[in-house]
Amino acid sequence: MAHFGPTRRSLLQGTLATTALGLTGFPARADVQWKKYAGTTIEANLVKGPRGELLQKYASEFTELTGIKVESEVIPEQQQRQKAVIELTSGKPSFDVIHVSYHVQKRQFEKAGWLADLTAFMKDPNLTAPDLTVDDFSAGGRQFAENDKGEMHSLPWSVDYFILYWNKELFAKKGVTLPKTLDEMAVAAEKLNDPANGIYGFTGRGLRNANMTLWTNFFLDYGGEFLDDKGNILTDGPEAIEATKLYQRLLTKTAPPGVAGFNWMESMASLTQGRAAMWIDGVGWAPPIEDPNASRVVGKIGYALVPAGPKGQYSAAYGDGIGIPQASTKKEAAYLYCQWAVSKTMGARLLQSGGGVPFRNSILNDESVRKGVKMPPEWLDSVIGSAKISKLGLPVIVPVAEFRDIVGAALTATLSGADPEAELKKAHAQFRPILERSEKS
Amino acid sequence: MSGIAASEQTPARSGTAAPDIGGWQPPSYWPFVVPALIVVLAVIIFPWAYTIWMSLHEWKVGSPPTFVGLANYIRLPSDTRFVESVWHTLVYTLLSVALPLLLGTLAAVVFHTKFPMRGFLRGLFILPMMATPVAIALVWTMMFHPQLGILNYLLSLIGLPPQLWVFHPATVIPSLVLVETWQWTPLVMLIVLGGLAAIPAEPYESALIDGATRWQVFRYISLPLIMPFLFIAAMIRMIDAVKSFDIIFAITQGGPGTASETINLYLYSVAFVYYDVGYASAIVVVFFALIVALAGALLRLRQTTHWNDAGGVA
Amino acid sequence: MLGNIGLGFALLVIVSPAALFFLWMLSLSIKFEVDNASYPPVFIPEHFNWGNYAAVFGSNRFTTYFANSLIVTGAATAFALLVGVPAGYGLARMRAHKAAVVVLIARITPGLSYLIPLFLLFQWLGLLGTLWPQIIIHLVVTVPIVIWIMIGYFETTPMELEESALIDGATRWQVFRYVALPIARPGIAVAFILAVIFSWNNFVFGIVLAGRETRTLPVAVYNMISFDQLSWGPLAAAALIVTLPVLLLTVFAQRQIVAGLTAGAVKGG
Repeated sequence: MAHFGPTRRSLLQGTLATTALGLTGFPARADVQWKKYAGTTIEANLVKGPRGELLQKYASEFTELTGIKVESEVIPEQQQRQKAVIELTSGKPSFDVIHVSYHVQKRQFEKAGWLADLTAFMKDPNLTAPDLTVDDFSAGGRQFAENDKGEMHSLPWSVDYFILYWNKELFAKKGVTLPKTLDEMAVAAEKLNDPANGIYGFTGRGLRNANMTLWTNFFLDYGGEFLDDKGNILTDGPEAIEATKLYQRLLTKTAPPGVAGFNWMESMASLTQGRAAMWIDGVGWAPPIEDPNASRVVGKIGYALVPAGPKGQYSAAYGDGIGIPQASTKKEAAYLYCQWAVSKTMGARLLQSGGGVPFRNSILNDESVRKGVKMPPEWLDSVIGSAKISKLGLPVIVPVAEFRDIVGAALTATLSGADPEAELKKAHAQFRPILERSEKS
Repeated sequence: MSGIAASEQTPARSGTAAPDIGGWQPPSYWPFVVPALIVVLAVIIFPWAYTIWMSLHEWKVGSPPTFVGLANYIRLPSDTRFVESVWHTLVYTLLSVALPLLLGTLAAVVFHTKFPMRGFLRGLFILPMMATPVAIALVWTMMFHPQLGILNYLLSLIGLPPQLWVFHPATVIPSLVLVETWQWTPLVMLIVLGGLAAIPAEPYESALIDGATRWQVFRYISLPLIMPFLFIAAMIRMIDAVKSFDIIFAITQGGPGTASETINLYLYSVAFVYYDVGYASAIVVVFFALIVALAGALLRLRQTTHWNDAGGVA
Repeated sequence: MLGNIGLGFALLVIVSPAALFFLWMLSLSIKFEVDNASYPPVFIPEHFNWGNYAAVFGSNRFTTYFANSLIVTGAATAFALLVGVPAGYGLARMRAHKAAVVVLIARITPGLSYLIPLFLLFQWLGLLGTLWPQIIIHLVVTVPIVIWIMIGYFETTPMELEESALIDGATRWQVFRYVALPIARPGIAVAFILAVIFSWNNFVFGIVLAGRETRTLPVAVYNMISFDQLSWGPLAAAALIVTLPVLLLTVFAQRQIVAGLTAGAVKGG
């Protein structure tokens, strides 16, 4: 892969001469002063996974570019989120850069005002490369990163669309074709289900809290909306009940035993061990699937859009951003790092390794980037296709964790036979007061 | 004070009160206690006081606290998740006390007899209770795996169907109790063993001479004499089982759903996932009261059976 | 004799759950993933994968975490002995059974409830990037154990020597230092060992208080649940490494532990 670093630097140095001419009579646009903060050390707090690890892997390039030293740490998701909140609340976080999970933390962070406003930085030509503009981010990205005043308090970094992974070999063996609707999918799963041989038609998250991301995709396909205009939660309505019935059907009749405890790791294991014919989850899990050291189904997996429901075809979307605590004393240096994380180089690497999808249209549409994608072309198609039908996968509320825990527990309960409608009603009776309290304060 | 000679001899007793030397009282032992007292004040009493203060406030991390009196406590009975966690805790505790008590006593009886390599085997037996709970729990998690775990394999060897262990709400608590029992039976064994060791030999000898069977010897001589130790073991187990956290957290995080969520696990979610520290503090207070109540019940039980002990024995 | 066979059988049944578990743990840790993922399970693999252990030690900072555990446990235990042994002595001599209630309260209180207030305190004191918060909060675990065991111990030591020393004009402190303390050595050993074990094993305080540099081993091993599925080998290896020190301590100090628990420490509740 071409090394973009030095090329870019020399490019910038090269343009210094030309832009000084100032074609339109405006004052000459100064360059990003990458080395201005050389010698600083910043701390980055990242989530364990392909994105965080990508930043760690190439951190030395950033240091070469800017002279800023980066101490970074990747922590498993749940712990990272907790630690982040504890430290941000204390007012003295130990990190200058934080990996944000928009779908869980957006409203909480906005309300508490924990992240620095980056709008000024983005407009400052000394700090921001010319190709990074707010418009370059997709609509979803802006929705995630902007608050109601239109201020950007983080940079949208990677988006995760839900797609359907399917085992072509297992499908061929039973003569089943790729389903286009959710009903077809349930039928296909039943046809493919072969417990005697240890093969199951479907695998997915059954674990409370984690399972919400799968369920919401069904919910959206059934035409569900999370909130009405007054902010009331609608996830126990008829669409939700239908979605839960489907969820229950798939995971009780056609899934591996123990699925009630599966998060993405266990579900992915079923797929990569060749024990499951279909899996619906985030698009960023392709690398381990195509890794011969970890997967027994290399080359056998197809990547498709999540099948359509009666009211539409949607892909639940979740986003990661990268931001700077308001309390940080090294904001500019940290901003350079954030910018580097969403830069073309890193965004390309992210996409090409299949570890995530950048929010920036310029990267996604760049032919040279696309050519370098290591994943099968079908994967890239599913990314682009899902982007077009994407919808936020979780409601934008403060108590997201409670929501995922309480409703998620209800869903897991249906996997041992509980009635979907009763469980949803019970869960929402518990959750509604929590939501009300959170909006009041 | 230090030079006062004894004006009378007190009969030698083992380790009780300070010798009563001319009416001068023990308070001079306070300096021994003060450093520990400071530590206790700082790390135990201060947090407790603060917890009680927090429990009277509505306080979510990130916003300022507001005083709400007893509102958090009133919220508890209608919080179905909390009520269910109480139920889970009681079931879990009952099983985690009864099973180790039974198995530990049996093991103590066996270890009470002399045999070669007893020391080594005993050492082996107590390893589970000393091992790091989190590390152990992670290995148990791998053993519980429905398809690849060794437990289902062992079941298949003896012709039993594979279980879902910690992946099904009906079997999750028994599975966790299995881990807890595996880990803590040695502690009961040690305590009861100590009791057995303290029993003088004469009653045994006379009973055996009189023709009593092993079982009768155990039932009528050993058992009453080790009752106090059984109660101590039960008390220690009860307190530890109610608070059990590491094992459950590492293996199921309270799942599937909330099927294995005990009070302590729920407390963790409320305090460190939802950041509702006011409400969490109220849960702590109620939790503590519950444990004290259980301990009190156990003590009362002991007192009533104490009267039934063979009178006049040591 | 039938009795011996019965005894042998009973012993086998009793001891095998413990022994087999640790053997299986060892087995998991030395297999390649392909062996760990196979069913029926492989007990002794053809190829031994010591790489799992290498992976654990090679991963960032594992030796740091080991050192952290040593420092936190060492300091918390040493300090607990320093304040706890005299306190146990004092309380025993004063017959202050009421004071033991505080120790009981400490035992009963769930660990989580100490965390919020103490976390705020540490933040206010600016201690959060260091090991001090963990050392201090571990005192919650170690000090009560030491006091509890030493009370029990001192209450059962014979008083004659002490009384005669007092009659001869020794101060309380001298009696403690020269008469009681030497006799209490076994008890101190037990208190030390148990405090070390429970502090080393502690997990709940670490997950909230520990930062990247200040993590202890149990927290580190929990964080190892990695995102690529089925790395049972490294996980088992890490688990074994974490718990090995206390296992060894138990094996070598077994007599003290057992003697202590069954002698003075277990007093009538």
